[in-house]
Amino acid sequence: MKRRDFIRTTALVTGGILVSPSLFAEGESRSRTKKITILHTNDTHSNIDPFPENHAKYPGLGGVARRYELIQQVRNEAENVLLLDAGDIFQGTPYFNRYKGILEMKLMTELGYDAATMGNHDFDIGIDGFIHAKQYAAFPFICSNYNFTDTNLDGKTEPYRIIEKGGVKVGLFGVGVELKGLVPDDKFGETVYLDPIETAQEYAALLKKKGCDLIICLSHLGYSYESDKISDLKLAEATSGIHLIIGGHTHTFLDKPTEVVNKDGITVLVNQVGWAGVNLGRIDFEIESKGIKQDALILQ
Amino acid sequence: MINKLFYILFIGAGLAACSSVSEIVVDADLVPVTGEIDSTNRIDSLIAPYRSELKEEMGTVLAQSAYDFVKDRPNGALNNWSADALLTFFKDSISGSDPIMALLNTGGLRSTINKGAVTLGDIFKLMPFDNEVVLVKLPKDRLKDIAKYISISGGEPIAGAHYDSGQFFLNEDAGGDTFWVVTSDYLFNGGDKMTFFNDPAEVIWTSVLLRDVFVYVAKKQGNLIYSDQERIKL
Repeated sequence: MKRRDFIRTTALVTGGILVSPSLFAEGESRSRTKKITILHTNDTHSNIDPFPENHAKYPGLGGVARRYELIQQVRNEAENVLLLDAGDIFQGTPYFNRYKGILEMKLMTELGYDAATMGNHDFDIGIDGFIHAKQYAAFPFICSNYNFTDTNLDGKTEPYRIIEKGGVKVGLFGVGVELKGLVPDDKFGETVYLDPIETAQEYAALLKKKGCDLIICLSHLGYSYESDKISDLKLAEATSGIHLIIGGHTHTFLDKPTEVVNKDGITVLVNQVGWAGVNLGRIDFEIESKGIKQDALILQ
Repeated sequence: MINKLFYILFIGAGLAACSSVSEIVVDADLVPVTGEIDSTNRIDSLIAPYRSELKEEMGTVLAQSAYDFVKDRPNGALNNWSADALLTFFKDSISGSDPIMALLNTGGLRSTINKGAVTLGDIFKLMPFDNEVVLVKLPKDRLKDIAKYISISGGEPIAGAHYDSGQFFLNEDAGGDTFWVVTSDYLFNGGDKMTFFNDPAEVIWTSVLLRDVFVYVAKKQGNLIYSDQERIKL
């Protein structure tokens, strides 16, 4: 608001008679606020049902049917909602052992997930096992730093995706953890792991170039480590152009998103909501495009 | 508990560049998925047939537990129970080996065992992976590598051994220059970067799943044996 006042004052001083109030009114109307709500999960690990009431750590929490209720409530009140997941959909309850990830994919489709990235446990039944389950997913898997060219997954994931909702252009890309030493070799086969920082920078720049209002990185790197291993906090710091990193892998419970200053000195948000679907993350963005360029033209 | 937060992010160039500037206001909530939320919806109906099929298969009660078993670092009751189960099961059971210690990974224990009835499903949650048990004969000089690993990781489930301030000790000495460890194929194959398993003196693949060992031991114990012994002193 301060900036607008400044422009108005300047205009009046330099050429007051040229600037009619109606022109200003038009300028104001160009300043439109667009809203988008991001809902997110990570490391749901086949937890379809809530934890039992006698659970040692999370008694009675979680459950996909309840998550659906919450999501629907948000969809009823908010204009534009995106539902995202940061990986490790598989492994953790007998549902996975018995149905091999098919139920997880079916349910996420029913919940209306817009996109997910792959976690290391999503390789647990091998690439072919993942492909088999993925047939039941109507949402894309976004993997930017795994090169699947020499595997059966080639062409079945996407390096990035742009989703436009209510006039907001959201750019999504995904980075995963190094699989070697974490996942048995025969499970990920010829998947080539690419450097997360370089990959993230490349896709953030691309998405910015394509005019995205909001750039979101789905990450399964992990929140932070004591070692120098790449993490969400390090990625946020070492790149530019990303607004939000939705993380996973370390099962980190954050009460609120962490603010990290990026390479350009701009704040990036990093969030993660624990695991097993005991929480749903919600981040509302209000993007106000101030038609500064037009205002400046009026000034001349 | 809803945590509300507001941020303002600015994107785009400044006024001088005459490009359009966006102001982004952010509001973040953590929404807990609690029992107060109704779950009688179409999603639940979709799950129901899978749930009842699984309940039939996984609901079998194997044992009772008077305690909550939770994993932790450096020590945890679940760490001790899992490693003890593995060592007890394989001690003297495979000819040609005499495991005197068991080693697992904290990350591999995927769920708590809760106070009350312990079902087959609970053991599946604890050990969802189809990991096979492997017996590995290692030279004794690897003990210092194990010590180093534990000093960095901060603790892994062990039985038949202990760690104290940078050093790793076997509780009993089988004599000779080697010792047998019982572990999982995941760790033996380089999982969690336990490189001290590389180039072993000998390996026996058991064809026994780690989960099946837990199932067998739970049943045999009837009431799960609780130990909070401090095996790792960092």
